[in-house]
Amino acid sequence: MAKRELISGNEACALGALASGLRFFGGYPISPSSEISEILSSRLPRAGGVFVQMEDEMASLGSVIGASLGGLRAMTATSGPGFTLMQEHLGYASLAEIPCLVVDVMRVGPSTGVPTAPSQGDVMQARWGSHGDRGTVALSPASVEEVYNLTVHAFNIADRLRTPVVLMFDEVIGHMREGVELTPPAPEDLWARPRPAGAPGPDFRAYAPNEQGVAQLPAFGDGYRFHVTGLFHDERGYPSTNPDLVRQTIERLERKLDPIPAWLPPEKYRMSDADFVYVAYGAVSRVAREAVDRLREQGVAAGLYRPRVLWPVDEAALRKDLAKARTVVVAEMNRGQWVQVVAQALPPATHVVSYGKTGGEPVTTDELYGIAADLNLRSVKSS
Amino acid sequence: MWRKEIRLAGSGGQGLGLAAMVLADAALRAGLHATIMQSYGPEARGGASRADVTLSDQPIANPWFPAPQILLALSQKAWDRFSPKLGADAVAVVDLDRVQGAQGANVWALPFERTARAELREKVAANMLALGALGVVLEHIPQEILAETAQSRAPKGFGQVNRTAVARGWRLMGEALGGIAHADSVGP
Repeated sequence: MAKRELISGNEACALGALASGLRFFGGYPISPSSEISEILSSRLPRAGGVFVQMEDEMASLGSVIGASLGGLRAMTATSGPGFTLMQEHLGYASLAEIPCLVVDVMRVGPSTGVPTAPSQGDVMQARWGSHGDRGTVALSPASVEEVYNLTVHAFNIADRLRTPVVLMFDEVIGHMREGVELTPPAPEDLWARPRPAGAPGPDFRAYAPNEQGVAQLPAFGDGYRFHVTGLFHDERGYPSTNPDLVRQTIERLERKLDPIPAWLPPEKYRMSDADFVYVAYGAVSRVAREAVDRLREQGVAAGLYRPRVLWPVDEAALRKDLAKARTVVVAEMNRGQWVQVVAQALPPATHVVSYGKTGGEPVTTDELYGIAADLNLRSVKSS
Repeated sequence: MWRKEIRLAGSGGQGLGLAAMVLADAALRAGLHATIMQSYGPEARGGASRADVTLSDQPIANPWFPAPQILLALSQKAWDRFSPKLGADAVAVVDLDRVQGAQGANVWALPFERTARAELREKVAANMLALGALGVVLEHIPQEILAETAQSRAPKGFGQVNRTAVARGWRLMGEALGGIAHADSVGP
């Protein structure tokens, strides 16, 4: 057996960022994400990057946005209370089309809540936390190895589509150590930002979108003069209140995210003939997999549908993937957040059940298996 | 498929975090799967230290458990806190001089710290003695792999001490199980 390393999810995130070419980290350490800052504070400078501990989370994301405008791959890492403070700048980065990565290691909220206990309570905040209509990107890994790989993907998506990306996982995934073999991305696996379309000059339009609907900003210092603002803006970047322009920009910024679900398709485990399906992400999906195996032993056609992209949602694909399911249990460490997506996408005939667990203790295999028994599925022995 | 849930508990500075890393890493080297969840934050700052290690021959879905199958307690506080939750089949290994009142059919009280001080001249090697004893209970990790891992993961200058400590702990437990040890060093 090849040599496996014993590392945590937070460590894998830091390593994945370094392997992706991270050059700037601005952050404010907070449990349960602190190891990401801790590791990068020593390793990023040695890799030629800059690490700054900022005065708070608003300033953290502000510094990241500035570094990104300078052309660098930049990120921050936080947890619920800090994620709340970052919502303003997430909206700014969306509208101004500034690539950046925000890692949110979820703990129990609201407010300072339980700093050391796992949760998945920030899923809807990632979608709607910032004001105004905007498309959002949130990725959800379920293992240490996947934290590493999705950190690389997150930077790629951020750069190619010029958008903020949120990588969110629960405290269990962040702190769990497991044996992994990490495969660094090859140079050709790292996606570049779109290049400016025109030469510097009075006619240059930094916000003229390419075929994918993505602005083609140069980096500060590239020799171009252009304007960046959180106001709606024309292709030169100057403010506009033109209703058509505003409407079209909102639509374009949402539409440009459409390819993401196909880039990172969901994991479908024993789904081909499943009529009883768990939908779960992060740590919960790990125990759901065990529950599926146990139900299969009892003759129940059970399966697991594990989204790796929580936002944006491809509703048509979700509906198609779950077309055979008669009962769908959406298990989450919150009061039922992503279940709303599933319920909205599926036809009324599908029985959608929310299993939302709060309190700071992880969901267990026994609990998920027990739900199936409680639903009186055929051939399940009640334990 | 088998799964073993082990809690290493004591106070800060006893090296339980390192012991967990050595145990899980040795399991990987033995071709097994392992996860660690470690206490931190306010809980760790209270002086208590805890690391939960899960071992299996299959990939581990859930690294979390409410009560362990095997408890190592190196402090009275750790014993008092975690022993009430132990199931009937659970095995406990405690430091003879650190834990009072640890009794039961599956409770083993061994002189880890005393032996570390007397024979290895390093009180801090008690964690590796305890790990050696756990190795006997676990059955799935060969002594040589555990000792080798303890050596390679040791702080600078402690490699040989830790290797020897694992072997010595292994022997302590072996003697206890074989009924060779003195009555007062093994309970009951």
